[in-house]
Amino acid sequence: MSDLLSAEPNAIDKKAQEEARKKFKKTKKKTKWSKVVLWIVLSLVAVIFPLVWLLDFSLASSNELFTSGLLIIPEKIQWGNYQKAFVDGHFLLYLKNSVLINGLAVILVILVSIMAGFACKRMKWKLSGFVKTMLLMGMMIPIHATLLPNYKIYSELGLKDTIWALLIPYVAFSLPQGMFLMTSFIESIPIEVEEAAVMDGCGIFRIIFQIVTPMLKSSIATVAIMTFLNNWNEFMMASTYLSKPKWKTLPFSILEFTGQYSSNYAVQFAVMALTAAPAIIVYIILNKHITKGVAMGAVKG
Amino acid sequence: MTKLYSNKKVIALLILPGILLFVFAILAPICLSVYYGFTNYSGMGTAAWVGIKNYKELFKDEVFWLALRNSLLLAIGFICIQHPLAMIVAAVLDKLGGRGESFFRCVFFIPNVISVAVIAYLWKFIYNPDFGLLNNIIKMFGGKGDTNWLSAQNAIWAVLVVLIWHGFGWGMLIYYTGIKNIDPELYEASEIDGANKVQTFFRITLPLMKPVIQVNVTMAIISALKQMETVYLLTKGGPNNRSQFTANYLYQQAFDAFRYGYGNAIGVVFIIICLLVTVLVNWVFKDRDEVKLRRAKA
Repeated sequence: MSDLLSAEPNAIDKKAQEEARKKFKKTKKKTKWSKVVLWIVLSLVAVIFPLVWLLDFSLASSNELFTSGLLIIPEKIQWGNYQKAFVDGHFLLYLKNSVLINGLAVILVILVSIMAGFACKRMKWKLSGFVKTMLLMGMMIPIHATLLPNYKIYSELGLKDTIWALLIPYVAFSLPQGMFLMTSFIESIPIEVEEAAVMDGCGIFRIIFQIVTPMLKSSIATVAIMTFLNNWNEFMMASTYLSKPKWKTLPFSILEFTGQYSSNYAVQFAVMALTAAPAIIVYIILNKHITKGVAMGAVKG
Repeated sequence: MTKLYSNKKVIALLILPGILLFVFAILAPICLSVYYGFTNYSGMGTAAWVGIKNYKELFKDEVFWLALRNSLLLAIGFICIQHPLAMIVAAVLDKLGGRGESFFRCVFFIPNVISVAVIAYLWKFIYNPDFGLLNNIIKMFGGKGDTNWLSAQNAIWAVLVVLIWHGFGWGMLIYYTGIKNIDPELYEASEIDGANKVQTFFRITLPLMKPVIQVNVTMAIISALKQMETVYLLTKGGPNNRSQFTANYLYQQAFDAFRYGYGNAIGVVFIIICLLVTVLVNWVFKDRDEVKLRRAKA
């Protein structure tokens, strides 16, 4: 009896203590989490707010822009801004050019980098190391230093205002990175696979394109994503080598617009939102793959 | 096997496209640049050989040194502001888990998929003295809000902010991947040993992230050196060359000032600087690792 009496308060004490500890832990965790979330939301605002602001202003009329508030609630949503941007910004033509040029560049980079990568890594010849280093050197050369001489070369050869003026440098400057990734992946393929193929009487091109290439799927995706990201937003070369609208790419919508509608700011906001949209939409859809591709490309490169 | 794999014709066929691209788009332009760097070519008419006059002028050209200084400032900005922030956000994201994690990771990267043209003009508007976002924010907090952010004094800082903002998601994503690759057992072990969050970050996350940090720092330095497009659109290097960068300067010399020869001379020096810096940075990082390895062995 006395034992029980003395034991009970002790047990209650322990229970209470444990509960208190749990509560303490919980509250501690809670405050930490709320802090973390707050922190992230704050930095998110810093990163994303300019884009929200852009979207907001693109839907207002130009007169409404001159407020002192951060965001405007437009009296009437001005879809007309987008209509103007769409038509006068040559949106469809430039989008088509961008997609075509970048698509071709991606295919060519993959093809050329697999071929060169395979030749340098697997084939037996004396200069393989030298050629590989030379091609990879391209990574260190600043693109913008070639703007002047290439301008001269392309105008002499009559390549200005043709698709080649963009395609050649886009492929050439994405090639080193593509080749770097490809060689490191080709290296990891067990040579026995190829040996077996040779035994079966496969020709070299069948080995490369039917046996090795399918095994490079993930690195092909990485190279495609990196090449696309590098070239999609490029405009320095485009604006140097192109003067006619035929092959102009998406960034030109904005560049041309700022001259044409220099005082109609709201329409300029609209054209900016419009040209940014395709890439953002594709990114959100392919988010996981792109994240993986960039991470792989950057860490390996 | 050896016979098939050492067929000269096949090898030539395989590397030919790569070699041609390299020669045509990279090597030939560089050679041409070297040639024009020794002339006084204006872009039209004939070119006259002037020897190393352009290079002599370049080393006395204040704008050139200013451009290099700006690159240095940008590299410091990347390394001291962008990267620590990116790493902290990445570390926090890693602990967040669930849907929030992938959502935030996605959103932080969005500025990177937006064209530089949009980014530059967007920030031009943000800095706009009449309706710009920045001045409006300052007004909201009771300031005057009539600063001209793109004036000679402020322009370079305005450019730095844009570039740091724009590249943030990229750096964060790479740090995030690096953190994800760390073995979670290490964190468990440190927790059992009673390490707190800060200790864990400095004792486990940071040392294991060293290779990732090296890659990121290398890229930051080189991209700071190669910066052109944002500056070209945002400030054109001005006012009065205060926010000038090397690539933009050589472009303007060739196409605006009609000094194509001089522009090419800058280009040649620019290429040499880029090569040197790349080699140097790689050497610094590599050397340290090897020294450590040797010490560990001894």
